[in-house]
Amino acid sequence: MDSIISNLALGFSTALTFQNLALCFVGCLIGTLIGVLPGVGPIATIAMLLPITFGLDPTGALIMLAGIYYGAQYGGSTTAILVNIPGEATSVVTVLDGHEMAKQGRAGAALGIAAIGSFIAGTVSTLVIAALGLPLTKLAQLFGPAEYFSLMIMGLVFAMVLARGSLLRAFAMIVLGLVLSTIGTDLETGEERLTFGIERLSDGLEFVVLAMGVFGFAEIIRNLENPEARDVVRGSIGPLLPTREEFRQSAMPIARGTFLGALLGILPGNGAVLGPFASYSVEKKLAKDPRRFGRGAIEGVAGPEAANNAGAQTAFIPLLTLGIPPNAVMALMVGAMTIHGIIPGPQVMTKAPSLFWGMVASMWIGNLMLLIINLPMVGLWVRLLKVPYRLLFPAILLFCCIGIYSINSSETDVIFTAVFGLFGYALLKFGFEPAPLLLGFVLGKLMEEKLRQALILSRGSFMTFVERPVSLGLLVVAAVLIVVALLPAIRKSRDEVFTE
Amino acid sequence: MTESSDPARAAGPAAFIRSPLDAAAGLFLICLAAVVLHQIRGLDAGSLRSFGPAMLPRGLAVILGASGIALVLMSVFRRDGSVLERWSIRGPFFILGSVLAFAFTIRVFGLAVAGPLAMVVGAYADPDARLKETLIFSVVLTAVCVVLFRYVLGLSIPILKMP
Amino acid sequence: MKILAKLAFAAAALVAGSAAAQTYPAKPITMIVPFAAGGPTDVVARIVTEHMSRTLGQQIVIENVGGAGGTTGTTRASQAGNDGYTIMMGHMGTHGAAPALYPNLKYDPSKDFEPVGLAAGTPILIVAKKAFPAQDLKGFVDYLKANGDKVNQAHAGVGSVSHSTGILLTSQVGTKTTQVPYTGTGPALNDLVSGQVDFMTDQIVNVAEQIRAGTIRAYAIATPSRSPALPDVPTTKEAGLPQYEVSAWNAIFAPKGTPAEVVTKLNDALVKALADEGTRKRLLDLGAVLPEKNEQTSAWLGDFVAKEVARWTPVLKAAK
Repeated sequence: MDSIISNLALGFSTALTFQNLALCFVGCLIGTLIGVLPGVGPIATIAMLLPITFGLDPTGALIMLAGIYYGAQYGGSTTAILVNIPGEATSVVTVLDGHEMAKQGRAGAALGIAAIGSFIAGTVSTLVIAALGLPLTKLAQLFGPAEYFSLMIMGLVFAMVLARGSLLRAFAMIVLGLVLSTIGTDLETGEERLTFGIERLSDGLEFVVLAMGVFGFAEIIRNLENPEARDVVRGSIGPLLPTREEFRQSAMPIARGTFLGALLGILPGNGAVLGPFASYSVEKKLAKDPRRFGRGAIEGVAGPEAANNAGAQTAFIPLLTLGIPPNAVMALMVGAMTIHGIIPGPQVMTKAPSLFWGMVASMWIGNLMLLIINLPMVGLWVRLLKVPYRLLFPAILLFCCIGIYSINSSETDVIFTAVFGLFGYALLKFGFEPAPLLLGFVLGKLMEEKLRQALILSRGSFMTFVERPVSLGLLVVAAVLIVVALLPAIRKSRDEVFTE
Repeated sequence: MTESSDPARAAGPAAFIRSPLDAAAGLFLICLAAVVLHQIRGLDAGSLRSFGPAMLPRGLAVILGASGIALVLMSVFRRDGSVLERWSIRGPFFILGSVLAFAFTIRVFGLAVAGPLAMVVGAYADPDARLKETLIFSVVLTAVCVVLFRYVLGLSIPILKMP
Repeated sequence: MKILAKLAFAAAALVAGSAAAQTYPAKPITMIVPFAAGGPTDVVARIVTEHMSRTLGQQIVIENVGGAGGTTGTTRASQAGNDGYTIMMGHMGTHGAAPALYPNLKYDPSKDFEPVGLAAGTPILIVAKKAFPAQDLKGFVDYLKANGDKVNQAHAGVGSVSHSTGILLTSQVGTKTTQVPYTGTGPALNDLVSGQVDFMTDQIVNVAEQIRAGTIRAYAIATPSRSPALPDVPTTKEAGLPQYEVSAWNAIFAPKGTPAEVVTKLNDALVKALADEGTRKRLLDLGAVLPEKNEQTSAWLGDFVAKEVARWTPVLKAAK
């Protein structure tokens, strides 16, 4: 305990220098900006900003880059809530109830609870990193390919629970998402699959391309169809902050979301993406009236947002304690550290304690700054929705196009987004929901990789998934979840039978 | 389940299909599955013990097609059918046109041309688009984007190119 | 008459060309790095171009165009304008192994580029999980021969450095292991540290810290001399596998037809960067190997690329 306090004291003394505070602030500001801009992700921006950090000392540079990373998570929720475009896999869930709230004139409450929930989650997970970083890493080492595969199976069950309507339709969308995830080069043989001979597809689809197409563009087309409903907010825009009642409703979801997000974020296989989905499923199952979900339930924003931020934060644990990056942004952080002459590895904590603890402390400071930056902005964002839709939607189109183009300087990606816009419109017309599709897509890539690795390692034996205790445990949880998810549907159809 | 509509309306030309929406959705899935199966026909599926590249896509496509068939069957048997909504042409045409216009001009002419072009084309997705207003707005917004993306964020986007 | 006109045109073009070359560079230069930002090639590119930009008086802007083992970005560079304002950081994979791995490759590493110069190589190490039952490289090789496909060998995906160098190792040892593919070095290393897989070959930047911390063990480094970054790791020559000598080299290329004056200017700037103490130190700290004076010329790189393609093609084709 003493060591935690002295470590944190060292951290804060590093992070609270004027230069580092300023860098943290700049990072958070840039992060919020790129998070809000659809398509422009932290990866492109951090890559571009790397040369600027050459002149800084490593600690300062990393504090700024980390600020960009979690700033982008905050900003991403804003876009998800306001214009229905999830910038990253983790904000897909925020779209569901967040944008619904915005349509009902409760954008302020949604944005407010997202910021506050994220802040609380950020605070808790900073403490988790400080106190339990090292032991948790050891726990994560128990996860081999078989365990990851079982975890992904559990994730797919969450996707079923996410569904608003028919389970069969949700199931079909998950499968379609999985199919889309197999596009690209085969892991083992290097053969191209489902690429239609297009070179750009050989690395698979970009998440943002798919998400922006099926959520963003399809939503614009649908909005234009019915002129009455198209201005996002009609009438009054409601209070800018959540009401006391809304706070009360959100308290427990935030706590549960933080826990789930922090736990999944530690896994070095980008488990953080599961956090918000898990949180949403849990809240929906615990709710007295699950039908409110997908129609503007504040718990559906508060919980996942907390999980999202907690996961974003604890995703630093594998990087800082093992030197192994769990996702693409963290891989970039490795590059940034390497350029500054600090090669991440298990010894960073002991060799460069002021860097390690300075970063941990700056995470909390950054979260505080983000709260201060974001809360006053809520008013501004909400007013943005008052812009007439005939001006708003071409502007969204432009920002999306630039954002997509900037990811890989590829115009082909922009074309794909258009194609998926049409595809998404068709899905809407056929009554399908895009959220399970996206989750299937996100999990699919990892799932196939882990499944095949596990089978190669077990020399083709499927028993590996039940012989390994952690894997078995996860599968049991998945099985229980699916029964819980199916029961109401079965009961309902029985009721229907009886009423006939 | 899907929102039920007036059953009377569901009785269309093919009266035995109670829910045209489900039928259409199911057919859509079957078509998608067929495309996937056709695309990967040349690939090796391997065996369950040792997966080939086609194993997962093929298995998934079969499940997808089966879901489609289930939806089609449901459309015949369910009582509360839903009708297929009208598809608009104008919205998809101009929105996608706008995005494609951007894609085809960005590397040739740069953002200064691609930006306003995309916005003006896109604006016509709305029947009451106003050319002058959109034009002015698009030029202003493109200028903002140039400053924002090129100078604040430092992304490498071509601004103005003369082919 | 026709010939005269042609000659005059050619002369005019030459004059115009050299005039442009004299003022080169008049605007920022784009360097395509065919991998994601933050990877070993990207890091080398950023460190080297920082100094080169100062010499040239114009910024070299890095554009990461990742995908398909680096071949997407390389294809784009090969099709870019040859005025010297688009150059690229090529790599052992894109300009050595790619022709064997990608049958539909849209460029020829030798014919479609003007070699500028070798920048830096990152040595390859043979690393294994902590509990691997072999004391040294000899024991490791014997174990591989004895156990063959019972051994799990990780690599970071088809076309990656760990994939090509791993195949080279097993083909030289004369055995076939079970290959476990990962999507990137991070996940592969993670499973090596936790002991899910047995061994892999990878670049020093990726594994050095893990070796120092003792979470994985290193059997040998595939360079002629030991690395100052890991002085305790023997070379493959010392440890008894002298033919296994390989490094993930990075070199600057310009599209075919880039004026010779421009290539010379770029090469001069590169040589200056490699002579600069600060730049050298930063590269050496990463464990990189810097080219000797005679290896820094454009001509040397041209020959080297041809030799690399000739070396990788049979090995990789045989493994397919």
